[in-house]
Amino acid sequence: MPGRQRPVVMATGLTTGLAFAMSLAGCSGAPSTNDPVLKIGAIPDQNPEKLNRLYGSLSDELSESLDVDVRYVPVSNYAAAVSAFRSGSLDLVWFGGLTGVQARLQTPGARVLAQRDIDAKFTSVFIANGASGLRPITSADQLVQLKGRRLAFGSESSTSGRLMPQYFLGENGVTMGDLAGGGPGFSGSHDATIAVVQSGTYEVGALNEQVWRSNVDEGRVDPSKVAVIWRTPPYVDYHWVARPDLDERFGEGFTDRVQKALLSLTPSTERGALVLDLFGAESFIPAQNEDYNKIEAVGRQLGKVR
Amino acid sequence: MALQRRLKPAPVLVALAPALVVLPLGIVLLRDLHGGGVEQIGRFWLAALQPSLDPTLLKHQLAELQITALTALLAWSLSSLAGLLLGVLSSTTICSTLTGRRWPAVVLRRCLAPLRSIHELIWGLLLLQLFGLNGWVAVLAIVLPYSALLARVLADQLDQQELPALIALRCAGVPAVINLFTSLMPPVAAALRDHIGHRLDCALRSALLLGIFGLGGLGTELMLSLQSLRFRELWSGLWLMALLLALMNLVIRRLSARHGLLLLTLALPLVTLLWSHRLNHDLSLPRWIQGAPWPPWAQLRDGLTQAWVETPWLELVGRTLLITVLASGVAIGLPPLLRLIAPDDGPGRMLKAGWLLMRLLPPPLTALLLMLASKPTLAVAALALGLHHSGVMGLVLEDGLERVDGRHQQAMVALGAPRRSAWLFGVLTPASRRYLAYAAYRSDVILRDTAVVGLVGGAGLGWQLMEALSSFHWPQVGWLILVYAVLTLLGELASEQLQERA
Amino acid sequence: MAVLEFRRAGLTGRLQPLDLTIRLGETTVLLGRSGAGKSSLIGLCNGSLLPDEGSVLWQGHDLNRCRPAQRRQIGTLWQDLRLVEELTVLQNINTGALGRHSLLWGLRNLLQPLEPELGDVLLHQVGLSNGLRDQRVSGLSGGERQRVALARLLRQQPMLTLADEPLSALDPRLANDVLNLLLDQSSCVISLHRPDLMHRFQRVLGLRQGELVLDAAPSAITEATLAWLYSEG
Repeated sequence: MPGRQRPVVMATGLTTGLAFAMSLAGCSGAPSTNDPVLKIGAIPDQNPEKLNRLYGSLSDELSESLDVDVRYVPVSNYAAAVSAFRSGSLDLVWFGGLTGVQARLQTPGARVLAQRDIDAKFTSVFIANGASGLRPITSADQLVQLKGRRLAFGSESSTSGRLMPQYFLGENGVTMGDLAGGGPGFSGSHDATIAVVQSGTYEVGALNEQVWRSNVDEGRVDPSKVAVIWRTPPYVDYHWVARPDLDERFGEGFTDRVQKALLSLTPSTERGALVLDLFGAESFIPAQNEDYNKIEAVGRQLGKVR
Repeated sequence: MALQRRLKPAPVLVALAPALVVLPLGIVLLRDLHGGGVEQIGRFWLAALQPSLDPTLLKHQLAELQITALTALLAWSLSSLAGLLLGVLSSTTICSTLTGRRWPAVVLRRCLAPLRSIHELIWGLLLLQLFGLNGWVAVLAIVLPYSALLARVLADQLDQQELPALIALRCAGVPAVINLFTSLMPPVAAALRDHIGHRLDCALRSALLLGIFGLGGLGTELMLSLQSLRFRELWSGLWLMALLLALMNLVIRRLSARHGLLLLTLALPLVTLLWSHRLNHDLSLPRWIQGAPWPPWAQLRDGLTQAWVETPWLELVGRTLLITVLASGVAIGLPPLLRLIAPDDGPGRMLKAGWLLMRLLPPPLTALLLMLASKPTLAVAALALGLHHSGVMGLVLEDGLERVDGRHQQAMVALGAPRRSAWLFGVLTPASRRYLAYAAYRSDVILRDTAVVGLVGGAGLGWQLMEALSSFHWPQVGWLILVYAVLTLLGELASEQLQERA
Repeated sequence: MAVLEFRRAGLTGRLQPLDLTIRLGETTVLLGRSGAGKSSLIGLCNGSLLPDEGSVLWQGHDLNRCRPAQRRQIGTLWQDLRLVEELTVLQNINTGALGRHSLLWGLRNLLQPLEPELGDVLLHQVGLSNGLRDQRVSGLSGGERQRVALARLLRQQPMLTLADEPLSALDPRLANDVLNLLLDQSSCVISLHRPDLMHRFQRVLGLRQGELVLDAAPSAITEATLAWLYSEG
């Protein structure tokens, strides 16, 4: 029956044709160079539109000042970013405090290059829903009143949205088992923490103060429903970490050049101003591996660093 | 169909019974309901009507959508081919016809169970450790469990067919190989074509979910939008995904009506490789990363004992099973229940649109939305999972209902039966068998999916696994995967036993 | 010449051990009440059932160790027909010839049915119209399916033809045609519920409660013997 074979013949022809066309398009479309590409990535806690602008501008800036191809690789999961860094899929990553420590422990020789001016003294805030009846806390030992409350963290690997708040709770006698439901909830992000506390699903939440402030400034928070009850003592957080093999792949002294390029970003140039503004900083300042020893100790204590 | 001939006790009741869990779930949810999140939820649904049309955003999302589609298509075609091969090898009928022994097939079947019992997301995060960010990681993460699942479905189909023709042809002196092709393949192929087509839909959703957890594609974009609660951007991506799903379903339906499906699976790997080149998506041969991510064996061994002791297994397993049972109840029971309340075509179409929507929203998103309206309880986690899968089951049911011959219902109406009971016994009953056969596989999937609703405070093994992975606590990861595998195996054995008794 | 030999072959609980020799060119009818063991005997003849004791020999070899090439010389018209429902009439008829052709031929038959002319001849022989040739078997009526199974049997060209209740679903005229076709085969063993037709055969076997109690020429069988054969135990 020839009628039956026709669709098969047609499908074969179609796919072969398509494959051929794609191969032509593919050959002409993709740049095939063997030059090494500097792959930068970030633990994202920004909206994607902002991230794309942020890393687009930063890639251009670094590409120009370092004279290499720079590519931004989006990663949306903390553990994935750490693994990608270890495996060499990312060369230069904007890590949070905890994830940076995890990444360096798994990638011996990796180096902390820089942090923002605000990262040296970073803070988290505890926010509470008005209906919870919780009053602002004046000294840390009053954190015990959070026992038996429904509490939300952000992402499980977040330094400001989980690790440090949990640490300060523990220091003041509140273990995770003391919370309502036998443990904290995880909203997934700082913005989502605000949403679940504001809605009343959770009574208390802990998040990055920088994100809280920008939400307040943009009017995305209803002050009648949710308010800050406590601010943590300062700790170090976000930082740039570079893989150990950059000098080997891009030439002697390349890691230092990257550090210099980051530190020399100033608001005086148009692109520099844009990048710094998007990062929410005045400038980048130098940072060392040792700056994060305290975070590592806290991470070990809470079982997030093994 | 897997359960078709064996489920004797009124299948229609078995299909409706799981809906009983809706009652306690509803009571818990009503108790915990609050209005605090109404504003955000309203914002979410309003955003569905006015998604962001920013050209740069759309262009970017389209590029990412292609990566998701490419990953899904490649994974689908490879897993279909591998699954067919493995399924044939693990069928006891084929094995005993060719070699005279059953055990090699049984052994292979049991060996494949662990592959199936681990969620593609966990596979993705594990493979990421070994190969880094490479396009193949997401593809393989889907291929491993999918081919094992297809192998099971195929082997079940092959082994549960009644075999009169096979015996007749054997007695007529037909050699074993061609006998298997002639008397076994035609009945199996028809059932399998539906399943393979349906798996493409699943592969697309899996690829999206992998993206949500950081493995690239549109999912990554959606997660970033969700994390910052940019619902309008989120909906642009969701609508694009919906379009892609609709398009793929159309193509599959067209192709499977002819003989193009197998051809498509064969041609796709080639096409997608070239396509990835064009998208600048890294599909080069994955390389093993130097140095294992986990500590040396001696250290690991000590860690294993400690991890076993410090993990509250009873509580974790109990919660996981509870979520699975509740979510399966919702997923399996809700579609026939709602359809029974509204058996007419008009509401039926609305329900179908609802199922399509449920299926489109990834479980983490559904969970967040529910959490804005209710206190965090196990019930919320179960409902979030259940609703997502009820979308899948609802479409399976509608599909089954469309195939039912309307004459039974007409006959009952002619006999003076009320409209609703005529529908129940004339339409739903004949459709329930296929539906229930599918439901058995779905509860497998739901057990694995408990890994993705960690949002709600400490919800079981899945959440613990994500926590262990993010702490790089390898001994605990190892134990958790093992426990997951054992649970899946036990579930499978139990369902086999039940089928044999019925 | 003996082709099929039973040597104390039996099935526990269904058929008591029996000795029997079926010869080439002989037409045999199998009589007995329902449940007397007729289907079991046919099953032992074609090898779909294995004897619990004793053995069944085909041309001097143990039937269950016979190669496909030897087994295809035994053809069966099954009571439940055993067609491949998803295939077309012509494809089903061609499955009768699978034993004589290569694997490739068999695969081609699945993609595109072969030898339609031969199929038409066989369809005509069993009294079906050519229009059915490309229809799926699952859509046919009971009588039509019966004749497709018969056409498949004819396509096989067996040396020994077995048939289990081949006439039960047919009207009297059609039953007669089918019986004629079966009797045209060189040798056959046919189980029937119609003692009135026994004179068309050369040999009559009678089964009663799983025991072979009668083996004679039709002319030697009296009404009383038949009455006893069909009486309750």
